[in-house]
Amino acid sequence: MASSLTVSNVDAGYGAVRVLEDVSLTVEAGETVALLGTNGNGKSTLMKSIMGIVRPSAGRITATIDGASHELVGRSTEEIVDLGIAFVPEGRRLFPKQTVTENLLLGAYRPKARSAIARNLDFCFETFPRLKERARQLAGSMSGGEQQMLALARALMSSPRVLLIDEPSVGLAPLLVSRTIDKIKELKEGFDLTVLMAEQNFTQAVRIADRGYVIVHGRIAFAGESAEALNNNELIREFYLGA
Amino acid sequence: MDGSLGLLLNAVVSGLLLGGFYAAVSIGVAISFGMLDIVNIAHPAFILLGSYVAYLANTLLGIDPLLTAVIALPAFYLLGMAVYQVYYLSFERRQDQSLRGLSFFFGLLFIAEVTLVLIFGVDYRLVQAPYIGPSLHLGWLELPLRLLVPFLVSMLMVVGLQLFLTRSFTGRAIEAVAQDPLALRLMAADPTRIKRVAFGLSFATAAIAGAILIIIQPVEPSIGREYIGRIFAICVLGGLGSFSGMVIAAVTLGVVESLTATFFGPSWAPAVSFGVLLVTLAVRPSGILGR
Repeated sequence: MASSLTVSNVDAGYGAVRVLEDVSLTVEAGETVALLGTNGNGKSTLMKSIMGIVRPSAGRITATIDGASHELVGRSTEEIVDLGIAFVPEGRRLFPKQTVTENLLLGAYRPKARSAIARNLDFCFETFPRLKERARQLAGSMSGGEQQMLALARALMSSPRVLLIDEPSVGLAPLLVSRTIDKIKELKEGFDLTVLMAEQNFTQAVRIADRGYVIVHGRIAFAGESAEALNNNELIREFYLGA
Repeated sequence: MDGSLGLLLNAVVSGLLLGGFYAAVSIGVAISFGMLDIVNIAHPAFILLGSYVAYLANTLLGIDPLLTAVIALPAFYLLGMAVYQVYYLSFERRQDQSLRGLSFFFGLLFIAEVTLVLIFGVDYRLVQAPYIGPSLHLGWLELPLRLLVPFLVSMLMVVGLQLFLTRSFTGRAIEAVAQDPLALRLMAADPTRIKRVAFGLSFATAAIAGAILIIIQPVEPSIGREYIGRIFAICVLGGLGSFSGMVIAAVTLGVVESLTATFFGPSWAPAVSFGVLLVTLAVRPSGILGR
C-alpha cells in the first residue's frame, strides 16, 4: 500500500529566527527524493519539522501511511515514528554505550515492528555483514562508516514505510559515501520504502534520486522533476558545481 | 580444623552474605544514578520507609517482613513514579537538574527521615520471623539464616531486574535513555515515560531492601545515612549502568569489610572499603564492569 509525504507552505525556525519560509514539497509513494542544499539553508530544519522535533509556525505536513492520511504538525516525535516514519538524523545519534545488537533491538521498540524483529534483523545483517561481525561491540567504538550503517539499520528495524535521512555522507571518506548511497538504494528496494534524503553531496545524491528539490536560504529554489533536470539546472551549476 | 582458618573462612562467608545485602540496598541507586543520571541520595531514606512498613505489618498483624515487601512493591513503584514526576516537572524539564536536583533529593532525604522520627520515634525497632535467630551449621561453617535468607532474596531481585532490563523493550530503553533522549524518541519511545517507569522500579527495590535491612539489624530513622556513602561507592566501583559489576563490587566490599572487622576491628572497615574504591578507580576509572 502506498505511503507518501506532503509538506505544504511550512514556515519554521528557532525562536525569533525564521529558517524555513513557505516550503512545499512532496514525496510520492515509492520515490527517492533528494533535498539538496549547502550548509545552513534549512535542510535539517525541514527534516526536524517533519519529525516533530521543530514545531512549524505555519503550514501543514501530511503523511499517508499505507493509504491512511495523518497530519503530523502537533504530534510528538515518538508518535510520528510510531506511524511508520523513521529518521536517520545528522550525526547518527546512536546509543554509544550499547552494543550493535542492543542498538538494533532498540530500533524495534515500535510495537508494530516487534513481530518482525527476527526477519528485520536477518535483513540488516545480510545487507550489512559488518554489523553481524561486530554484533557485540559497543556502537561508540566503531568507525564512522560502520556507525552510519548501524544508524540506517537501526532505523529499518522499526519497519518504517517512509524513511528520512539527514546527510548520510557527512564525515565519511569518499569511497564510503558512494557505498552508503548504494546501500540506501538497496534498502529502499528491499523494504519498499518511500525515501526523503537531505544531502550536500549533489553528485552522489542524484545517482539514486528520482527527483529533487534545491533549498536556498530556507526557500525551495528549484524543483527538478528528474535527475537530468537537476544535473542541467543553472542554480545547481552556480551553487554546487561552481561552473 | 585450625581455629584461625575457620575464623577466616567464616569471615569470608559472612562477607559474601553481607555483600548480598549491600547489593539489595544499592540496586535502586544502580538504576537511578547508574542508568538515569539522577543522583537520588534520598534512596536510603525510602529503604528505611520499607523497613518501617515491614515493622508495622509485623508487629500489628504478624506478617512476615519479606511478604510485606512483596505486597508493598506496587505502592513503592507508584511512589517512585510520583517522585520522578515532581523532579521532572520542577527540574529536569528546565534543564536545571544537576545542582538543584541534588538539593531536591537532599531535602527529600530529610523530610522522609523526620517523618519517620515523628511517627516512630528514634528508638531501635526490630521484626520477628522464623529465620531470625537460627543458623545453618555445615561442619565448621556457620550460616546465620537472618543473613542467608536476605542474600537469596537479594540475588533473586538482581537476576529478575537484570532479565527485565536486557530482555524487554522497556528495559533496553531504560539502559539507553540517559545516553540520548532524542535518539530514544526516534525509536518511538517517550523518554519521560521510560524514566518514570525506571524510577518506579528503583523505588520498588527499596521495599525489598528495607525488609532485608530490618531482618539483618534493628533500625532507627537516621540509620540510612550510614549507607549513602557505601551505596554510591558500590555503584561507582562496579561501573555505572552494570548490575553484574554492582554485585561484584557489593560482594567485594562485603568480604573486605568482614575480613577487616574480624582481624583488625570494625572501625577500620569503612577506611579499607573506601581504599579499595580508590585503588580500583585509579586502575579502572570506569569501574569493574563499566562500559
